[in-house]
Amino acid sequence: MRGYGGWAGKVLSVDLSTGRIWCDDTIERYKEYLGGTGIGYKVMWDEVPPGTKPYDPENRIIFATGPLAGTSAPSSGRTAITTLWPTCWPVPLVASGHMGGNFAAKLKYAGYDAIVIQGKADRPVWLMIEDQKVEIHDACSIWGQGIRSATCAIAEIMGRDSAVAAIGQSGENLVPLSIILSGASHSAGGIGSVMGSKNLKAIGVNGSGSIRIAGKKEEWEKLIKYHLSLLGANNQHVAPSSPQPWAEYYDPTTRWNASRGHRWGAAAHPVDTGTCDPHDVNRIAYRSNTAAFFLGDGVWRHTVRGNGCASCPVRCHTILKVPSVSTKYGIPAVGQNTCVGLKFGANFFKNIPGGLKGAVGLEANMVGLHLADDLGVWCNYGQLQRDFIKLYYGGVIKKKLSVREYGRYSWSKYEKGDPAFLFELLPRIAAKEGELGTVLGLGAGYMLERWNLSEEEWGKDKKLGYWKMGHPKHHGSDEAGQCGLLINLIYNRDAVCHSHTNFIKNGLPLHVQKRLATELWGSPEAVDGLGDFKPMHRSKARMAKWALMRKELHDSLSLCNWMGPWVASPLRERGYAGDDSIESMLYKLATGDNKDREELDAVAERIFLLHRALTIRDMGTKEMRTRHDKIPEWVYKDKSGKPPFTKGAVHMDRNDIQVARDMFYEELGWDKATGAPTRRTYRKFGLGDVADELAKRKLAPA
Amino acid sequence: MKDPIIKDVTVRDNGTLPGDAVAMAAAVVRERSADALLVSASEITLYVQKRLASPDTNISCEDIPVMLTRMVDENEDLHSLAGAGSQWYYSSRSMTDAYANILLQKLEGPVRLIAETVRHNSSAYQRPVPLELFMAPPFNLTHQQVFDGLETMAATDGYEDIASTTTSASGVYLYSTERLEADHAEMLAEWFHVGQAENP
Repeated sequence: MRGYGGWAGKVLSVDLSTGRIWCDDTIERYKEYLGGTGIGYKVMWDEVPPGTKPYDPENRIIFATGPLAGTSAPSSGRTAITTLWPTCWPVPLVASGHMGGNFAAKLKYAGYDAIVIQGKADRPVWLMIEDQKVEIHDACSIWGQGIRSATCAIAEIMGRDSAVAAIGQSGENLVPLSIILSGASHSAGGIGSVMGSKNLKAIGVNGSGSIRIAGKKEEWEKLIKYHLSLLGANNQHVAPSSPQPWAEYYDPTTRWNASRGHRWGAAAHPVDTGTCDPHDVNRIAYRSNTAAFFLGDGVWRHTVRGNGCASCPVRCHTILKVPSVSTKYGIPAVGQNTCVGLKFGANFFKNIPGGLKGAVGLEANMVGLHLADDLGVWCNYGQLQRDFIKLYYGGVIKKKLSVREYGRYSWSKYEKGDPAFLFELLPRIAAKEGELGTVLGLGAGYMLERWNLSEEEWGKDKKLGYWKMGHPKHHGSDEAGQCGLLINLIYNRDAVCHSHTNFIKNGLPLHVQKRLATELWGSPEAVDGLGDFKPMHRSKARMAKWALMRKELHDSLSLCNWMGPWVASPLRERGYAGDDSIESMLYKLATGDNKDREELDAVAERIFLLHRALTIRDMGTKEMRTRHDKIPEWVYKDKSGKPPFTKGAVHMDRNDIQVARDMFYEELGWDKATGAPTRRTYRKFGLGDVADELAKRKLAPA
Repeated sequence: MKDPIIKDVTVRDNGTLPGDAVAMAAAVVRERSADALLVSASEITLYVQKRLASPDTNISCEDIPVMLTRMVDENEDLHSLAGAGSQWYYSSRSMTDAYANILLQKLEGPVRLIAETVRHNSSAYQRPVPLELFMAPPFNLTHQQVFDGLETMAATDGYEDIASTTTSASGVYLYSTERLEADHAEMLAEWFHVGQAENP
């Protein structure tokens, strides 16, 4: 370990084909990639040859934490899970899912920074990790069971304080739209079936160790308090959603929805969230009720409390209690989730009595989240539900199914918005039952291919939110202009980048955002008002690059890119500025590796470049600009009929987007013509061997 | 009005005023602000008079403006606002100017509260606001008050700029046509009410 703090020191490898278990030194092999996605991409580059398919034993699935996991750094509970993605269409490519909960911290306390799984067990197994004891156990008794009971069974063996990451029937049945789930609701989407293909039902982990902080204790505590002082609410929204006595600004659209009179009504003793003055860091957990944000104010009375990840004060997973669902549907009255997971059920319905935010909508969501998180079905960031509605109301389902299979579904229940319909649909997806169950579980790209539907047509329908390669937009151009568009070009799944959107939706008025943007990206032109987009500007390309680097940095350090970055704060006395150096300050003090912000950003860029290199290598082409970084047609359309860059229009201008791509590739040191990094750029970031390998394959411009 | 609990009041020689009148007045303003309330000149006066009600220490009508002026001049955190037929006071230790203005508009009645809030949001933030905003704290209007207020505005000169737009999910948003273009307001309302939830 050479005296570094932060890292646990070992990367655990398990070959399920042979049963071999061994460890590598994290620092020796991976320090220059930090952890998380950095370790994931490095393993994929070194060990998984091009042409490997997701379910091949040669594919790896890497559960990787970063040097801040298991420390007291705020929002440091993330595990990045990297592998070849089964839903990436038409060719599976590298991508990562991200899981919160306690898994990352427990893994670190057991002494490991990452787990690399390869091979395929000859029977269902689960992996038990208890400090130095690592064992492969028979999983026949839990194979075929849902995630809840499998998790409970393993916790019975390992103890209630263990962390378990498991797949449901969906992952076992190699349904591409599958999750890995840890704790009650912390899921990593899209990759459960890769575990299933290896006959690996679950990983249970418990550790009795701790993580050493390299810096002085007093300095670390001071830094943590400083970081906490900059925190806002969920998604780093820094202005409250309603006027508060302490607040200069408010914004009804932020997730800081605490207010005097807003109560966790289903708590044993109902709790008033209060006004939540930002200087009171002991009340950060009260600032957001994510369920109320998504499901409407009616859920305040169903709210038990917020829940969340190790070392995160934000608690973005809301625990809800809805007693009526027990009697009506036979599911637990209590459930929890966040973001799209909260809306999993109701989103399937075009019509629902009382609307999506009504009582039936809430029941549908309770049914949806319980079924999805037990069966292990992934929604592809809501694409599954949007596709389903389009396919049903467009008559495609009726056309594609046999009369017999079509008749097995209670479509009248569906049209009436009856949550019971979900019991007919979701188990069939998890079981790959029939044509419909099978096709819905494929993910959008393979679904379109199987049913001979046009991806181009899918990309014209803005309501579908489809972007490319089988995945939807994730905070794209309609909310973040050119910056959002550029971010959505890069990844092989939905972009899952929140750096930019957390800034532009932080609730501060535009003139304050522009002042902060000038300090961060060199010009106020970096940010526009929503629906008041302006032509491309160099600072927008800088912001897009920054957003991606922060994402990779967070994913590699175990920080949460849903909660950060922390470049704005709720503090009026700071002019609402946050601190763009917080990641490097935490990293430096935790590990003892004296990298400043620029040096750490260079590591993030190395990691990001490796992702691009893997994409290019495995696609076998360097023509990224035309063959990978695609843009759906809806981006250029607006129902108002107005030209781009007029108020109220959110569409982009084709010529302007070409300029945007040029500037973006230039900022990254990539070849403008192809969108591929140049050999020089690879070398600049210490990836000379990658440059050589790609050059050999004629995949790297000079 | 409940009697505030006065803490740490220093008795000083205040010239023509009884010893601790200014300090008492300042304390009551701070306490009301800590409860997220404005306090009027008359409430302050009543309170101070009650506390000083003895032959030697009462304050005269002429003293009141002096007391209030000195209270603001001598305490950086105390500020005054005029409206709703009175002068109102608050402490910036526990209340921002923005919040105090909302409380003042609230005192001026639902019509003015809704109109000024809508105008402020349209100009300062370039956004329409949902009707539900006015039914939640600190506005706390009833459904009926909001709709009555809108009806009054529609029939009264001076509110011609207040307009509404309805989203595809039947959400009603208000904006000022003098500060926000109709197309922009419509697009923003649709995004806030429908689009944003689809882009979590």
